Amino acid sequence: MKNKKFVWAVMLPAMLHILVFIIVPIGIGLVVSFFNYNPLSSDNTFIGLENFRKLFLDADFRLAMKNTLIFVLATVFLNIALSLLTAQLISYFKSNKVRSFFRMVFFLPCIAPMVATSVVFSRSIFPTATGFLNMMLNRIGLPSVNWLGDPKVIMISLIIYTLWVDVGYNIVLFSAGIDGIPAYVYEAADLDGAGEWRKFRKVTLPLLGRSFQFVIVQTLISHFQMFAQFSVLILKDGPQNSGLVLSRYIYKTAFEYKDMGYASAVSMVLFIIIIILSFIEQKKHNVDWEY
Amino acid sequence: MKFIKDKKNLKIRTAAFVCLFLAAVIFLAPYFWMLSNSFKSTKEILMEPANMLPKQFTVSGYVKVLTKSPFFSWMRNSLVVTIVDTLVILFTSSIIGFVLSKYKFRLNKFIFTLILLTMMMPTAAMMIPNFLLISRLGWYDKIISLIFPTFINAFGIFLCKQFIDDLPKELFESAMLDNASDFKIYYRIVLPGIRPALGSLTIFTFLGIWNDYQTPLIYLNSAKNMTLPLAMSYFSTQHLSDLSATMAAASLIMIPASVVFIIFQKQFIKGISMTGMK
Repeated sequence: MKNKKFVWAVMLPAMLHILVFIIVPIGIGLVVSFFNYNPLSSDNTFIGLENFRKLFLDADFRLAMKNTLIFVLATVFLNIALSLLTAQLISYFKSNKVRSFFRMVFFLPCIAPMVATSVVFSRSIFPTATGFLNMMLNRIGLPSVNWLGDPKVIMISLIIYTLWVDVGYNIVLFSAGIDGIPAYVYEAADLDGAGEWRKFRKVTLPLLGRSFQFVIVQTLISHFQMFAQFSVLILKDGPQNSGLVLSRYIYKTAFEYKDMGYASAVSMVLFIIIIILSFIEQKKHNVDWEY
Repeated sequence: MKFIKDKKNLKIRTAAFVCLFLAAVIFLAPYFWMLSNSFKSTKEILMEPANMLPKQFTVSGYVKVLTKSPFFSWMRNSLVVTIVDTLVILFTSSIIGFVLSKYKFRLNKFIFTLILLTMMMPTAAMMIPNFLLISRLGWYDKIISLIFPTFINAFGIFLCKQFIDDLPKELFESAMLDNASDFKIYYRIVLPGIRPALGSLTIFTFLGIWNDYQTPLIYLNSAKNMTLPLAMSYFSTQHLSDLSATMAAASLIMIPASVVFIIFQKQFIKGISMTGMK
């Protein structure tokens, strides 16, 4: 079809919108990172690559980077392992009611705003003396843990919360992926006398192929950017900044210390990490899987 | 042989059921505890933390949230932002997807690639330039800052285009013979044809915008303008010592959405797995 008027009546406003709200901000972000920029000050000087040089000397930035990597790698690994396992367990049931019941329960936390669940965990689940988790630990004879006050433990608490809040999404995706594998493939494996673990490794995993890669990259991208739990579940980034991550460091530097130039330089680092991950994903998109 | 296999299957299934059941209990426990605490007084939460259920049932936390805070304004703000955005995104995604899918024009490929690229833009890294742009536009602390910038949704366009690509050619050919206008083809053929895509897009945008915390945190300042997620963190810092009211606020924010999800869970799960696979 080719009605020029209709095409441009639709595309022109759309392109303008993308230009103003996406392309211009990327430009602004890049430009600001070359300035000593404080929105409250009138004296904002061009300092070239100074902000980027500062990155290498900044211990807080290094700590935030380290914490982000530990958090992302641990959470994504555990998330994928647990969601695959759960999806596999769910697939053993023939009854649709049982399957959708479990999927629903695990997905429920994904529906809630993370701020609200973060508040619940920080005020009612993790507190040392009155929290639900320690109460349960004590009940089975284990000692209390200082979930939010101990710099060695705080990352573990954040990982536990993030798994709870986010694993349901991947369970649903993997579950759909496993449902899509035809039954005869498994029957053939049964005839060969394959055990459960072997079937999982040799049939399920390879046939999940595309959705498997999609899920891993998407989870990585979203976890690198997670923010709500780091600013609401823990107080002031935890003792000795033990819970400080990149997204939170950007926010703090830009909006609490008003050092937007330097914060933009930190943003660029996060930006590049995400873009690289996205390109890996785009590449993978070209690989098509057929059963 | 068959008998042995069934027996083995039964064993596996029982083990699977026990594991899943325990996991489900763990997953629901925070909800139970939040609700239970929301009906206790703060004193009871702190003095007798081991009470599974409230010993003295009270709704004072809820009363406090509803009367001492602009809860209904927050709710209204959230509803306005989410509903307007979702409707507009459904419209723009489907009509742009339609044009990119069915019309031949010079910049088609280029524009589609550009839109795909914008899908990668990390929100966490865009906080500062977005804030500067919104302040420059004079939209700081105004609800419109949450509404207007999200009108074009790259993921939505991508999803709709994929589905429109798959619609049979004959549908469009017969409409062209009837000399139907472009817009008529859009709402008579395209919209009904991609209903599943629109359904799952509705779920995604609704949830994403309803739960968004970072954008309002950066763009809004006064309490009365806040949407629910930002209001939640505001309320919990304003009432740090009042655990009962904090849990009541969390329940008020979480439970209605959860109920909607439970009612429509089939559509939700289907919509989410569909886009994940596409």
